[in-house]
Amino acid sequence: MSDAILQTTGLGKRFGHFAANSDIDFSVREGELRAVIGPNGAGKTTFFNLLSGFAQPTDGEIFFKGEKITHVAGPRRVVRGIAKAFQTANIYPDETVFQNCRLAALARTQGLFSLQLFRSSQRLTDVDSLAGEALELVDLAALKDVRAGDLSHGDKKRLDIAVALATRPQILLLDEPVAGMSIEEVHKTDRLIRGLAKRMTVLIIEHDMDLIMGISDSITVLHQGKILASGTPAEIRGNSRVQEAYLGGHTEGTV
Amino acid sequence: MKDARFYGLTALGLVLFPFLIHPIGGYPGLATQILIVAIGSIGFNLLLGYAGLLSYGQSMFYGVGGYMALLTISKFFPDHPNFWLAILLGVGFVTLMAVAIGALVVRLYGIYFALLTLAFAQMFFFVVFKWRDLTQGDDGLQGISAPPLSLGFTSIDLTGTFPSLDLGPFGNLSDVHYWYAFVALIMLLVLAFTRTLIRSQFGEVLGAIRENEERSTFVGFDPRRYKLAAFTIAGALTGLSGALRGLYETSIAPDALTVGTSGDFVIYTVIGGVKTLFGPLVGTGLIMYMQNVISAKTDAWRLIEGLLFVAVIVFLPGGILGSFKRKRARTILAAAVAAGPPDAPSRAAAREAAP
Repeated sequence: MSDAILQTTGLGKRFGHFAANSDIDFSVREGELRAVIGPNGAGKTTFFNLLSGFAQPTDGEIFFKGEKITHVAGPRRVVRGIAKAFQTANIYPDETVFQNCRLAALARTQGLFSLQLFRSSQRLTDVDSLAGEALELVDLAALKDVRAGDLSHGDKKRLDIAVALATRPQILLLDEPVAGMSIEEVHKTDRLIRGLAKRMTVLIIEHDMDLIMGISDSITVLHQGKILASGTPAEIRGNSRVQEAYLGGHTEGTV
Repeated sequence: MKDARFYGLTALGLVLFPFLIHPIGGYPGLATQILIVAIGSIGFNLLLGYAGLLSYGQSMFYGVGGYMALLTISKFFPDHPNFWLAILLGVGFVTLMAVAIGALVVRLYGIYFALLTLAFAQMFFFVVFKWRDLTQGDDGLQGISAPPLSLGFTSIDLTGTFPSLDLGPFGNLSDVHYWYAFVALIMLLVLAFTRTLIRSQFGEVLGAIRENEERSTFVGFDPRRYKLAAFTIAGALTGLSGALRGLYETSIAPDALTVGTSGDFVIYTVIGGVKTLFGPLVGTGLIMYMQNVISAKTDAWRLIEGLLFVAVIVFLPGGILGSFKRKRARTILAAAVAAGPPDAPSRAAAREAAP
C-alpha cells in the first residue's frame, strides 16, 4: 500500500449503539478517481466526515501519505492537502465569487491563524492568482464579481468546488457534486471532475450512476456502514451482492 | 488621501466635541466620560459586529480594569504612584483575564456564549463585592487621585484646565480639563487601531468566520484562535476604558461590574450602529448625553432608553450609522444570537442514516 495517498484501517464511527461506519479498510492511490456509492443510510457522508476531520472516529485509523491523521483537526487536514466540497454548497453568500476563492487561497498561504492586524491582504498577489486559477478551473471566472449568494444552484456548487480547489488540495472530497443539477449542469460538472482528476486525487460520493460509471477509475460500495464491494465500474455493475443491496434497500438510479 | 481625511475629520470632531455639547445642555466633563466609555463600546463592537459574538459580560473587563488601575496607585505602589503603571496593570491584567476566559467561552455559540460571559461577569462582581480587604466591598474605592501624567521631560496634572477664553455660546476654553485632551488623543488612537484592524487580513478572516464558520474551518482557518484573539483585543480595550474611568472619577464601586454595565455596552453599540467604526462612539455619546439631560428632569430615564432601544431594533436595525450603509445589520444581530455550531456530525449522520 505504499502508493496509497489516503488509507483507513478498521475505521468505525458509532453513535450510541448505532454503527454508522464499521471496519472500513479503504485505500486510494495517488491520482485515482474513486467513487463511494451505496444506498441512502449506507454511511457515505459519515465516512467523508471522518476523512475530512468533521467527525472523530470511534475506531480505527486514518493515514494520509503514510502519516497518521486520525486525530488531526479539520483545518489542519486542509493545510496538509485534504479539501472538501459540500453536499449543499457551503460558501460565503455575502462575498463576491472571487472573494470566496480568495479567502480559501488566503488560508492556504497564511495557515491556520495569523495575527496580521495591521496589513491588508489586498496586496498578496499570490492569493489573487491562486483564487483566479481556481475560478478558471470551474469556469466561473466571468462571474467573479457577482455576489455568491445570487448564483444559480449549479454555479454555487461549482463555486464550492472552486473554494476547495483554492486551498491547493492533493485530494479532493466531493459530496454529491451534481445533486439537484439540471442535465446541462451535470454534463458541465462531469467534464469539470474529469479535468480535476488529471491534477489530483478525487474521492466522490454520488447517486448519479451514469456519472459515476462514466468517470470513476474504481468504485467502493458501502452498505450498512461497511464496505460491500470494491472494484472497477464494470466489476461493480456485475456484482450480484451490490445489485441486491440496492434493490433490497432503496433504489437510487440503476446499477 | 483617505487616511488623511479620516484623521483630519476625526481630530476636528474630537476638538470641537466638548464645545458643541455646551449649547445643548452638556458640559466638557460629560464629553470626557463619553469618550472613555466609548472606548469600551468600540471594543465590544469588535466582538458583536466583526466577530459575531454577543458578549454579555464586558462589565468584568471594564470593572476589573478600573479596580486594578486604582489599586495600583492606592495599594500596590502607594509610594510611587504612576499614571502609566496604573493603566498598564489595569489593561495588562484584564488582557490576561480575557485570554483565560476567552479560551473557554469561544467554544460556545450564540446564546450559550452570551450566558457564559454573563456568568463569568457575575463571578467577578461577587469577588469584588466580597473581597472587602482589597476592594472595600460595596463602598468601593474612593478618593484616589490620579498622579500627574509623566511624559519624561515634564508631567501634566490632567485635572488642570486650559487658559480662559470666552467662546460665546460654546462656553469657555477653561471649562475643558487636560483630561479631555488626553482621552481624545487615546480615542483617536483607538479609532485608528480599530479601523486598521477591521481592514487588515485578521479582520478579513474574522469576518469570513462570522459569515460562515463551517466553510472557514474547511478552507483551513482555525476559528477558535481568531475568536480568542478578537475576545482578547475587545477585553483589553474595555479594560482600558475601565482603567481610564477609574482614574478620571478617582473612584470605582462594584456597580461597574453589574449586568447593567454589560447591557449598556450592548445598547450603546446597537443604537449607534453595529459593525460600523463610529457607531459605538455615536451611540455611547447619544445615550449618555440623553441620560444626562433627561434624568435631570424625570426618573423615567431607563424607560425612555428602553423604548429607544426597541425603536432602533425595529426601525433601524443597523443602528443610527448602520442605517446609512444599508448593511444587513439585523442579520448580524440575529446571527450573533442564533449562531449554532458548525453542523454537528451527529446530525449529519442522522441525515445520512435516515431512510
